[in-house]
Amino acid sequence: MSEGYHMQDELQERAYDAHLMRRLLGYIRPYRGWIILATVLLLVLSVLGNLAPVLLMHSVDAYINDATRLAAPEDMVAAAAERDLSGLYRMVLAIAAVVALQGLLRYVQVLVVSVVGQRTMFEMRLGLFDHLQHLSLGFLDRNPAGRLLSRVTNDIEKVQQTIVEGVVAVISDFMTLLVVLVVMFSINPILACVALSPVPLVVLTSVLFRKYAQHSFLEVRRKIAHINSWMQENVSGMRVVRLFNREDVNYAEYVARNADHRDEWVRQVRNFALYFPAVEFLGSLATALVILYCGMVMLKTGEATSGQGSVGTIFAFVFLAERFFGPIRALADRYNLILEAMASSERVFALQDTPPDVCNGPAPVSCARLKGAVALEHVWFAYPSAAELQGEPRWVLKNITLDIAPGERVAIVGHTGAGKSTLIHLLSRFYDIQRGHLRIDGVDVRDYDLIPMRRNIGVVLQDVFLFSGTIEENIRLGNPEISQEKVEACARHVNAARFIERLPGGYGYHVGERGCNLSTGQRQLVAFARTLAHDPRILVLDEATANIDTETENLIQDAIAKLLEGRTSIVIAHRLSTVQHADRIVVFHHGEIRESGTHQELLAHNGLYRTLYELQYKDQTGSD
Amino acid sequence: MKNETRHAPPETSWPPAEPGKPFLTLLRFNRRYLRAYLTGAALAVVFVVISLLMPLIIRATVQGLSTGALGTDRLWEFFWVLLATSIAAGVARYFQRTLMIGASRHFEYDLRNAYFRHLQRLSASFFQRMPTGDLMARATSDMNQIRDFVGPGVMGTVDMIRLPFTLGMMFYLSVRLTLYSLLPLPALTILVYLFVRFMNRQSKIVQEIYAELSTRVQENLAGARVVKAFGIEDRETDRFREKTLEYMKANVKLAVVTSFAWPLIDMLIGVAVLMVIWQGGKLVIENHLTLGDLSAFLITMVMLAWPLIQFGWVLTLYQRGAVSMNRISAILNEVPEISDDQRTVMNARITVGRIQFEGVSFRYPSPPESAAQAALPTTHQRPWAVEEVSFEVPAGTTLAIVGPTGSGKSTLLSLLCREFEPVSGHILIDGQALEVFPLHTLRHALGCVPQDVFIFSESIRENIRLGRPAIPDGEILDAARVAGFLGDLQEMPQQLDTLLGERGVNLSGGQKQRLALARALVCNPAILLLDDTLSSVDTRTEELILRELRGYMEGRTSIIVSHRISSIRHAHKIIVLADGQIVESGNHDELVELDGLYARLHQRQLLETHLEEDS
Repeated sequence: MSEGYHMQDELQERAYDAHLMRRLLGYIRPYRGWIILATVLLLVLSVLGNLAPVLLMHSVDAYINDATRLAAPEDMVAAAAERDLSGLYRMVLAIAAVVALQGLLRYVQVLVVSVVGQRTMFEMRLGLFDHLQHLSLGFLDRNPAGRLLSRVTNDIEKVQQTIVEGVVAVISDFMTLLVVLVVMFSINPILACVALSPVPLVVLTSVLFRKYAQHSFLEVRRKIAHINSWMQENVSGMRVVRLFNREDVNYAEYVARNADHRDEWVRQVRNFALYFPAVEFLGSLATALVILYCGMVMLKTGEATSGQGSVGTIFAFVFLAERFFGPIRALADRYNLILEAMASSERVFALQDTPPDVCNGPAPVSCARLKGAVALEHVWFAYPSAAELQGEPRWVLKNITLDIAPGERVAIVGHTGAGKSTLIHLLSRFYDIQRGHLRIDGVDVRDYDLIPMRRNIGVVLQDVFLFSGTIEENIRLGNPEISQEKVEACARHVNAARFIERLPGGYGYHVGERGCNLSTGQRQLVAFARTLAHDPRILVLDEATANIDTETENLIQDAIAKLLEGRTSIVIAHRLSTVQHADRIVVFHHGEIRESGTHQELLAHNGLYRTLYELQYKDQTGSD
Repeated sequence: MKNETRHAPPETSWPPAEPGKPFLTLLRFNRRYLRAYLTGAALAVVFVVISLLMPLIIRATVQGLSTGALGTDRLWEFFWVLLATSIAAGVARYFQRTLMIGASRHFEYDLRNAYFRHLQRLSASFFQRMPTGDLMARATSDMNQIRDFVGPGVMGTVDMIRLPFTLGMMFYLSVRLTLYSLLPLPALTILVYLFVRFMNRQSKIVQEIYAELSTRVQENLAGARVVKAFGIEDRETDRFREKTLEYMKANVKLAVVTSFAWPLIDMLIGVAVLMVIWQGGKLVIENHLTLGDLSAFLITMVMLAWPLIQFGWVLTLYQRGAVSMNRISAILNEVPEISDDQRTVMNARITVGRIQFEGVSFRYPSPPESAAQAALPTTHQRPWAVEEVSFEVPAGTTLAIVGPTGSGKSTLLSLLCREFEPVSGHILIDGQALEVFPLHTLRHALGCVPQDVFIFSESIRENIRLGRPAIPDGEILDAARVAGFLGDLQEMPQQLDTLLGERGVNLSGGQKQRLALARALVCNPAILLLDDTLSSVDTRTEELILRELRGYMEGRTSIIVSHRISSIRHAHKIIVLADGQIVESGNHDELVELDGLYARLHQRQLLETHLEEDS
């Protein structure tokens, strides 16, 4: 999670981007129908929301404050009151119906929008993950896993917020504004103008606020990002800080940054503290104006007319004005939210748009079952990250030519950094070579259909990776053609069955994250079983050097011998027995092939292999 | 400490943290802002009192209008009074907000400082068991939760002061109406309670699935080689789809209930208004209540709604804030294992630099165990990292330590730097126990170049003068020259000003090591400790550096740990470690003569050199 504080992740300041928004909206296209439903509901809700104040106005003017009743002679009052009461009850029922309907529709609308948001997020996330599966190892090497992880998790989560909270809320706000306007003007245009006269001031205040707050908001984020990355560095380098008595100086620096951040916050707080009361005051101004105007009209005409000047009108317009101010206030907040989500969506799309650099050609050759002839012709290779920086790539393999016949066992030996592991990666086309040709069964690896080809090549790396899941799942890897019997047979064949059967649950034993609850040797054996079960034509193996107890070591050696049977194999050998039994040994040195031949031949040759042998293998003679 | 560096800010002492009692800790930390909070609370009262004038004014206005007993002058008067109250309320609100939320930012600042300062004091073993990511999570998301709690959370709580005032006003206006409008309350309370309970439970489930989902992505990225090798990309996508689908379903389930939140609030207000119109209207018609009373009542009731709505939100802030405060308190409560204590003699000085190890044994503390394992008695401890090690380095001489990986070489240096405390035995410098020296003095006297070099994202200058922030460039360049870094430095785009690290130039392994060496040399230490410092530097350059260093080491005590025999053959004395014990000791010639582990290592390295030079 440490990559969570990467500066560029935090600091994107973006304006509204129409293109980005269009692409985002593309994701909700399949749910058009639902979105239309939600929009219609929003419209209905806006209308209903205005119905209540109108009904209220009517109940006050027509029944509660009924002029005829008030003016009626003493003996008629009871009857008039009786009539007004039944009228009031009708109104109350009507309002109750409106409130209930409003609640129901609002619920349906919110639910529809969240479900659409969730579905969109689901598809976006899945699409991004799937895309990630097809990006090359070179890409994965260059991009820290933490960053990619936060694309698939946090960023998508934020994008969903744009759709649910941002866009829909904005639509809803605009609709409310529109309907309130229509209702107000249809009741009384002059009063509407009076009630809305503070609106320009509200807009002005909001724009000013947004300007200052937005700046402050970004500053706060920038500063906290600095604090966090600085702190993270200090925590990781705490040892050095301490050894050099640097605590006080760094603490002073931290305090300074922290104070800077705090002061920006306090500015931000002041902005908010000023804005909210200001808008509230403008709301009160609207109320006061409505009362003043209606009062004037009533005083002038000397009577109350519903919709012109009456207590009910005051009620209705005060409520309506409140409904008008709310969305304007909210728009300022929503804008920040949308900007934030846009920055996230841009990062997500950037990843989604990265083309896979190792992929199928235009007409991939299918290959169900390879024979296993491997040929390298003048192969040159440099890792892509290194190649990009300098003019001349840092070659890891130089002009390698090597022919391996089907079924041949080749052992690769060499000093650390000689390019042995790189060769393994090339064969499975984890990376593409820069010069020369790499052919399997006479066909360039780049022409094959990638995935079926890789399935023909079994790779066992030093550091065995197991997925969290059962042992069986780890051997089968989801391949439906591998039966339970086969899983067990393979495990038995490579000497893994004995320890597996002793585990609680046997093949159903749950392997922890990265196989943490198995020993190194056990992980190796499971990896062998896994490879055997998938029955590759070509086996590529990087022998583990880790210290393993003698008993397991013997099991592993035996298993390797079985695994190699009947397959073309290329093994980076760390064990004497492996080199001794190889058909051919190829000695790598600084990215080149220096010697090749059988164990005996090379020993007799008294060259590089001899030195390596004395360094790496000689000591094993005793235990072998 | 204050007089040591002029950079150090005035140290504030922080109150003790109490894990398990988050509110007590918060209270203690906030004590100095108590006045701000109390003033804020007083302002909240002022605000509500002023606000409650408004319904009264409206009552008078409406009453006057509906009975026709109101003149134009009176109307204008009401208008201005209404505006004046509104402004007064706004001013009170402004100050309340700046004071209270402002205090929360100051509190956050204090807490961040306390947290960072405490981390600086904690020992190496703490950082060994605490992943950086965890510490950072506390500094980021937990800190935010606490800030939200102390700011808006406390503000929301203080705003509850409005409730009795508002209710009082409602009762004053009409007891009967108040009771009617509160009628739906018990039912609503139960509903809200059930609602919040479900929401909490379901959010927890959603959070858990989200964590699993993250883990799955993480695992997939970590195992990318296996995924590609077996061509199981589609299976991985399927497995991911399962989790994502599960996540979506859990979210939808949550939405089915949470979508009810806004309608619920709408209905809450709607029903209350409804009751008031119904009953209030009836009272007015029956002449038991004036229209003015009814209007004032309606407005007051709407004022009641907001603090009530806020209450649920404040409760969640409380819950989260408490959890986060506990997580931070747990760190603040860690006692530094190594610090200056009563054994320390504040004016003890290291003069000549004679080092003695007497029967020193040390094992690293066991890693924190999983819950299941922790329940069992700890029967297995880690093996000794060093066991019964005794040696002496006379002042001004050089000791070399060699041995296979994991034999305890670096541990000896860590013990000497007091990064860890030996389990048994004694370490002495100039005949005095290590604990006698203040940590600051000790580390000032020791120039240590650790094995894994840490470069800060600062300029080269800052990186080299880490231990002596104020030295002139001349000394920096001198040290760089001795460390063989001057040539690299001159090739850098902006020499000493070149930025390093994430946002700057990336150094090669060898360059980093030489920079780290310069960093130690510049401090002019009495004792120089090199922990395999030149392992990434090629043999020839190493030879040159060592020649330069020999002059520098003249008169200083030094300990050199190395894999390479070639770099230590000139040491006055060499000790060979294996499995934490000294197996051989003597000078180079004696040890070769002995024909033991040292001689074998020597032999191997001759072969390797041969291999290197073969190219």
